[in-house]
Amino acid sequence: MKHLSKALGFALAVAATFAACAAAATLAIGSTTLSAGNASVSACTTSLSATRNVDNSGNVTQVNVAGIPTACSGETLSVTLVGSGNAALGSGSGTVGSCGTSCSVTITSFGGTVSAANVTGYSYGLTGA
Amino acid sequence: MRRLRLTPRRVAVLLAATVGLGAGVAYAATLTVGSWHLWAGSQTLTKGTCTLTGTTQSTDTYVTQATPNGTNGSGTTMLVRSNSASQDWSFVSFNLSSCSLPTSGGADTATLKLYLYSAPTSNRTLTVTPVLTSWSGTLTWTQAQSLAYGSATTTFTTGTTAGVTFSIPVTVDVDALIKNPSASFGWRINDTTGSGNATTTFATANNGNAGRRPQLVINYEK
Repeated sequence: MKHLSKALGFALAVAATFAACAAAATLAIGSTTLSAGNASVSACTTSLSATRNVDNSGNVTQVNVAGIPTACSGETLSVTLVGSGNAALGSGSGTVGSCGTSCSVTITSFGGTVSAANVTGYSYGLTGA
Repeated sequence: MRRLRLTPRRVAVLLAATVGLGAGVAYAATLTVGSWHLWAGSQTLTKGTCTLTGTTQSTDTYVTQATPNGTNGSGTTMLVRSNSASQDWSFVSFNLSSCSLPTSGGADTATLKLYLYSAPTSNRTLTVTPVLTSWSGTLTWTQAQSLAYGSATTTFTTGTTAGVTFSIPVTVDVDALIKNPSASFGWRINDTTGSGNATTTFATANNGNAGRRPQLVINYEK
C-alpha cells in the first residue's frame, strides 16, 4: 500500500506539471492552484460599408463589401440583411481574399429571396486568425 | 519489499489520475485564442422616394423610319409602331441629379410611368430596352441606328383602351444608374413584332396635362 501511494503521488505530480505547462501559454497559472487569466482578441477593422445589387423585381442579388483593410485578409465575413424590428431577412458569408491596398467580398446567396425594400440595414461579423 | 497488488480500488484511482492528466492537456489546447481577430458591426440604411417628371427632369422623343432624318422632340405625344417598313420608336430618359443619391445607394424599386394617350387598334406587346449611349431630343431614326442598347429590361402589353397609365418596372436599370451615372441613358420603347400597322401613342413631357407626362418613381436606399 505504501508503494501504491507513492506511485499515485508521482502520477498526480506529473499530471499537475503537464497541466500547468500546457495552459501557461494562454492562462496565468499559479504555482499551487489554478488562477483566472485572460487573452485579448483584436479587430482588423473598425467599420464596414456595403452596397447591394437587385434584379428588376427589386430582390437582392448580391451584397458587396469593399474597403476592407488588408489586415483582414483570410478572415470570414458574415453579413446579415436586417429588416424592420431587427429581423434577420437573410444572411451569407464569404472569405476575405488576399488583396492589395484594400479587400472586398461579394456575397450572392442569402438563404432565400430578400426584397431590397425590406432591408433597413446590414449586420457584420468578421472572425479569423 | 511488498508486491503491489491490483485491486479494483487501485485501478479506479489510477484511472482517475490518468483522466486528470489528459484533461489538463486538452484544456490548454482549446484556450489558445490570443492571436484571433473578432469584430462585429452594423450599418443602417436611409430610405426615401424620388419622383422625376416634366421637361426639366426628363427628355423624350420618337424617331420614325419613314422620315429617317426628322426630329420629333418638341411634340406632345410620342409614337410606337411595329410596321416593319415604317417603324416608330419612342425614347425617354430622366436626370437623376435632383434626387441627390450617392453612388453607394441603390434603387429598391423604380417604376417608369407612361400615359397611353391613344391606344392601338389591337393589343401590342412593347419592349423596354436601356440605351447605353447618349442621345438628345433631336434624335433621328438614322442616329438611333448607331446607338448602343442593352438587353431588354421588360415588356408590357398595351391593351386597346386609351387614357390609362402603365407602371413599368425598371428597377435593375435605375439601380445600375445610381451606382454609375454614366451607365445608361434612359430607354427605347418599341414594338418588336415587326408586323401590322398598329400605333401606340404616349404623352410626352411637353403634354399640357402634367399628370400625363412620363414619370420615374424611385424608392431608394442610401
